[in-house]
Amino acid sequence: MTTPAAETLPAISQAAPSNSLLRLTMRRLFRQRNAIIGATILAFLILVAIFAPALAPYDPTLSLLDIEPVTIRQEPCIHLFGCPEDQAQHIMGLDGNARDQFSRVIFGTRISLFIGFSTVGLAIIIGTLLGAVAGYAGGWLDNVIMRLMDVLLAFPSFLLAIAIITVLGRGLQNALYAIAIVNIPHFARLIRASVLSIKEQEFVAATRALGASPVWILMKRILPNALPPLIVQATLSIAGAILEAAALSFLGLGAQEPASEWGTMLGRERGQVFTAPYLVFYPGFAIMLTVLAFNLLGDGLRDAMDPRLSQVSKR
Amino acid sequence: MRGNTLLKLVSLLVLAGLLLAACAPDPTADNPYEEIDYSEGLSVAAASCDYGGKIASIEATDRLTVVFNLCKPDPAFLAKAAFTPFGIQPREYLDYAAASKLILEAPVGTGPYQVTEWERGDHVTFTAFADYWGAAPAAQTAVLRWAAEGSARLVELQAGTADMITNVSPADIATVQGDPNLQLLFNVNPNVFYVGFTNTFAPFDNADVRRAIAMGLDRQRIVDNYYPAGSEVASHFTPCSIPNGCAGDSWYETDLEAANAMLDAAGFPRNDEGVRFTTSIYYRDVFRGYLPEPGLVAVEISNQLRENLGIEAEVVVMESGEFIAQGTQGLLDGIHLLGWGADYPHVTNFLDFHFGSGNPQFGTAHPEIYEALEAAAVLADVAAAEPHYVTANNAIRDLVPMIPIAHGASADAALASVTGAYVPPFGATQFAFLDPGKDTLVFVQNAEPISLYCADETDGESLRPCQQSVETLLEYGQTSGDTSGELATACTGNADSTVWTCTLRDGVTFHDGSSFDANDVVASWAAGIDAASPNHIGNTGTFDYFAYLWDGLINAPTE
Repeated sequence: MTTPAAETLPAISQAAPSNSLLRLTMRRLFRQRNAIIGATILAFLILVAIFAPALAPYDPTLSLLDIEPVTIRQEPCIHLFGCPEDQAQHIMGLDGNARDQFSRVIFGTRISLFIGFSTVGLAIIIGTLLGAVAGYAGGWLDNVIMRLMDVLLAFPSFLLAIAIITVLGRGLQNALYAIAIVNIPHFARLIRASVLSIKEQEFVAATRALGASPVWILMKRILPNALPPLIVQATLSIAGAILEAAALSFLGLGAQEPASEWGTMLGRERGQVFTAPYLVFYPGFAIMLTVLAFNLLGDGLRDAMDPRLSQVSKR
Repeated sequence: MRGNTLLKLVSLLVLAGLLLAACAPDPTADNPYEEIDYSEGLSVAAASCDYGGKIASIEATDRLTVVFNLCKPDPAFLAKAAFTPFGIQPREYLDYAAASKLILEAPVGTGPYQVTEWERGDHVTFTAFADYWGAAPAAQTAVLRWAAEGSARLVELQAGTADMITNVSPADIATVQGDPNLQLLFNVNPNVFYVGFTNTFAPFDNADVRRAIAMGLDRQRIVDNYYPAGSEVASHFTPCSIPNGCAGDSWYETDLEAANAMLDAAGFPRNDEGVRFTTSIYYRDVFRGYLPEPGLVAVEISNQLRENLGIEAEVVVMESGEFIAQGTQGLLDGIHLLGWGADYPHVTNFLDFHFGSGNPQFGTAHPEIYEALEAAAVLADVAAAEPHYVTANNAIRDLVPMIPIAHGASADAALASVTGAYVPPFGATQFAFLDPGKDTLVFVQNAEPISLYCADETDGESLRPCQQSVETLLEYGQTSGDTSGELATACTGNADSTVWTCTLRDGVTFHDGSSFDANDVVASWAAGIDAASPNHIGNTGTFDYFAYLWDGLINAPTE
């Protein structure tokens, strides 16, 4: 079998998602208030992450003990709200090591978004590869891959992540691997289902009849058409990944000091809920806001990409 | 057919379970062992003193007399003998319960309270012992519970569900002081928090590096910001409240210029990023009086190393047991944060344990230190021993196996309505001395006991409940480390402190109803000190305090 010449394929390639589908999806997406709120918050967080060094008044790892007349766990000082002008402004207070909490929360945005995108990105790459191979090849290869995925899914994901970290060791990098691994089966199953459905369609059969190789068909015909559910799943999974990473760091298994990771910040000051509530409130609020943004956007995307749901919502 | 087989199998298993449950020993039932009246004195002895330990023999010379023969003088004998791990249990019970490990959960002592229930994961219940030889406790029942978080313990106290709690968090001390319903009880147990090095790992095999770090850390800043009021920067490893603890020169003052020059000269110049070398700071996230904020102090030391000296130190939190195991064996390749609370009021408790010839914690032991300590340890006279401790402390300062940072203050708290609330400098608060004004006293500590057989335990959370029910020959005072008689009316030493004779209290009864005599003392000590004793089983089997306080176990297997 030979790969067809490129000039013979354009007519068929119209089966792939077109710009009009993208435009339609975007139009549907921005008709939904929740999705707009989610996208706006996310855009804001991305800007905060990009411009963190400019926005943060202090180095997030810098102890201010010998730099300013401060104490550890100092309460927030906001000049606008009556804090004396001669006192340095720390709008979210200082943490247990006299570091500016506001700066740490801002830099934490970078880490959390990085965690979300990198873990889900890794899970998508591996999950898509496995799901696509399983779905397209079928037979014993499908069985082996999917039973392996079933084994991974049989464990509660958080416990599995902890088990993986136990083997790999503590630290942010290993936490990322752990979260990515527990997310792989979701993407593999999703892609396999899409591939099983799409590979039986006529435009794929036509491409195959033209002599296209399986890899070419997968990459150019099937996967592009499997993207919509993948995007929805990815958006929702990012929220889950950020939560899982925060939980692992809270337990001391993820990011380690002096990283400005929100879960680590919560875990370190969890005993101060009553004496210094601002130290747990702001990192907790930041986690909540980020997860909410991804969930709202994910829900909006799902509705926008599913015509049936759009119809229902119109009624 | 297959269903019937399964049914039979399940029935058999249930039956076997019921039989096992019925056969399990119940410590509250009538004694399943017979009391052995005193007829002949027991003894335990080392074949010779070549094994290196202090105990030559322990003999019951009559029903109420026990003689301890030592291989070498031990002026701290009385202080050690009052320590909880050397508690006395009936010899018959040891024979009965050591092998089955029942003894780990159901101690039989002579104390004012007896253990009646240990619901794992929740609480230990004590009931006042009706036949106690001393004053009866005020509360008929005492309940020991635990909560790892300081804030959780304080909430229990504020809510009135606890009568007394241990280790108030530094941040909560002002709250307790400002609450008229609570009383704050400062703990004056001598302790030290130190930064340890293992000199078998580079770059800490270089004494100049260790010295430079000693001069590069701002210890005052650590104490000012992370310790409660009453804490102090350590001038020596041993607190000054211990005789001879502060003999010799005080520790280095912070001198960043000299420290950086020393690191340059030692061959550790800064690279382009200002970093000399990288290392790790290991610690365990466990609240102790000597280190109330372990995580924060670890980060603070990491910050100081980076800012003051250009040393990048990664902060690594470890599981407590693993940290202790690796740290005390000298297996940690970086800096470790550890501390020590006094077990008994003698300088040997601090110096000999840490800097003795057999301790691998700081790597290869320094003869400049341990030879002076060995010379001092046999001298009962404080003044006569002082020159040796001057030598030892100055050698510690010069060789810097560790950096003493702070002597921490800590505090417990009780309801204001509890009368007699106190925290002794040595040992644990005796529940029997507390009067909550009601039938039940509730005491909340940091963690669950590991076991209740304290001959083979070392953590304070286990020693506290042990001390309520199992008594020792001597006891510490409520406000000092002075010892007085408990199960012994007196223990007297000979002129060179090598023979100690203890006269025992008559008419004492154990919780199982048996009578206390000298053979119980010999049997209890033998279970710990004699590695060949059939009762030398314990929990882990290491019997750390027997091995460490008496310089080794009799009949220990050769490695």
